[in-house]
Amino acid sequence: MQPNGEAIVLTGISKTFTGRSGTVVALEDINLTIQEGEFLCIVGPSGCGKTTLLRILAGLEKPTSGQVEIRVREPGKPVNSMVFQEQSIFPWYTVKENVAYGLAMRGVSRARREEIAEHYLKITGLSKFANAYPHQLSGGMKQRVSVARAFANDPSILLMDEPFGSLDEQTRVILQQELLRIWEGTRKTAVFITHSIDEALGLGDRVLVMTARPGRVKAVLEVDLPRPRDLTLIRSRPRFLELFDTIWFYLREEVMKAKASELQG
Amino acid sequence: MRAEARILSFFSPALLLVLWEVLARAGLVDIRVFSSPSRILETFLPVLFSGELLYHTWVSVRRIILGFLAGAIPGVLLGLSMGLFPLVRAALEPMVAITFPIPKLAVMPMIILIFGLGEASKVFTVAIGVFYLVLINTMSGVLNIDKIYLDVAKNFGASRWNFYRTVALPGALPMIFAGLKLGMGTALILIVAAELTAAQAGLGDWIWRAYDMFDIERMFTSLIMLTVLGYLFANALDLLERWVIPWKSPHA
Repeated sequence: MQPNGEAIVLTGISKTFTGRSGTVVALEDINLTIQEGEFLCIVGPSGCGKTTLLRILAGLEKPTSGQVEIRVREPGKPVNSMVFQEQSIFPWYTVKENVAYGLAMRGVSRARREEIAEHYLKITGLSKFANAYPHQLSGGMKQRVSVARAFANDPSILLMDEPFGSLDEQTRVILQQELLRIWEGTRKTAVFITHSIDEALGLGDRVLVMTARPGRVKAVLEVDLPRPRDLTLIRSRPRFLELFDTIWFYLREEVMKAKASELQG
Repeated sequence: MRAEARILSFFSPALLLVLWEVLARAGLVDIRVFSSPSRILETFLPVLFSGELLYHTWVSVRRIILGFLAGAIPGVLLGLSMGLFPLVRAALEPMVAITFPIPKLAVMPMIILIFGLGEASKVFTVAIGVFYLVLINTMSGVLNIDKIYLDVAKNFGASRWNFYRTVALPGALPMIFAGLKLGMGTALILIVAAELTAAQAGLGDWIWRAYDMFDIERMFTSLIMLTVLGYLFANALDLLERWVIPWKSPHA
């Protein structure tokens, strides 16, 4: 990977949804450049269009206006793979088949698929469950499978939409640690959505704060904390607390705004 | 099931048979119409061991299986397409909605006119009944697949063929099986009806001939075989379902 090129350039991205109850502006004039190998976290009040932004990056949604330029083109690799917020692993496939799904879709040979899937099962601690079906797994394990599926696909860009949002605190911390460990081994361009400032600061190189609806870029902060990081130790660093306060200051304003418009609406 | 419940489930039908026999012997039910379990058994065993009844059963079974396949396979394929592609659905749904409620027995004379009195008309009658139930269930099975799985398939670069193979088909399978089971019940109804009117052999034809001769016991022997068939087909589908849908959670 050539270091520090631009991976994604967004110019003037807007998105409006038209439904029966009228038009909703989800995103408004988003301008953003994501560097290659960067871990970008996006935080914002709920309903601010974070997920919509990620879906646009994934190509699952088209912006109403503006331009998405994906500049990384690694031959033979998929452009992006997404870890979805909700339960998204196929109930009809075993854990291993789920992890190998992207590879199978790309026509990777069976032997190679097995090999790659087993590697990612091992590093996500799922080897014992390779042949289990999802209904036999806990919520945390299902999200592990989802993360393993995205990593196994070896994309140029990893997109993650609050992958640990629905998990209990202990499981979340463990999975954050694991994600960090795996990511620090690959240094893929990653975009990670969360509503937790803690999570954003622990994982990200930069944190983007979004405004309440319509979603705009409120602020972008550099997380100048050293890597490799230990999520439990990093929290007590003065710089972490400083950044936390700054983000909370931005975020609180927006959350208040969102609440106010909710009350009016 | 609790032990008492299981005992009860076994003895309540047995008790009914005993009651029937007693009432028949006491002359309280008219054996010319209702016969009695012992008289039916007396007729049943010889026609069973002679192979006569089994031959007619086989004729019906063959028609059911052929008709079932001829209805279920296009039903699944078309149901998947209608579920996946809104344009296909828009084009075909009105026709399905209009023709589905027509009782299949009502079109039997027309089927006979088209296909003649041979095997084809029986097979087609069964097929058309199975077809609609499988089609409608398959389509709603696809439409009820959680949208997230379509996003996943798209995000991971599934081709159109892989959409069918890895999402639509497995996602709709539980509903497809619901359709197949309903279809099997309908197939039994339709095959008997088709054979009652115009057949040279089969369990429906057997009933009709027995009726012609006013041989009540012979009529009942065919009913016994139909009961056995219904039971076997239902179990075969259950087995197939467990084999094809191994991921189905046992408590779902």
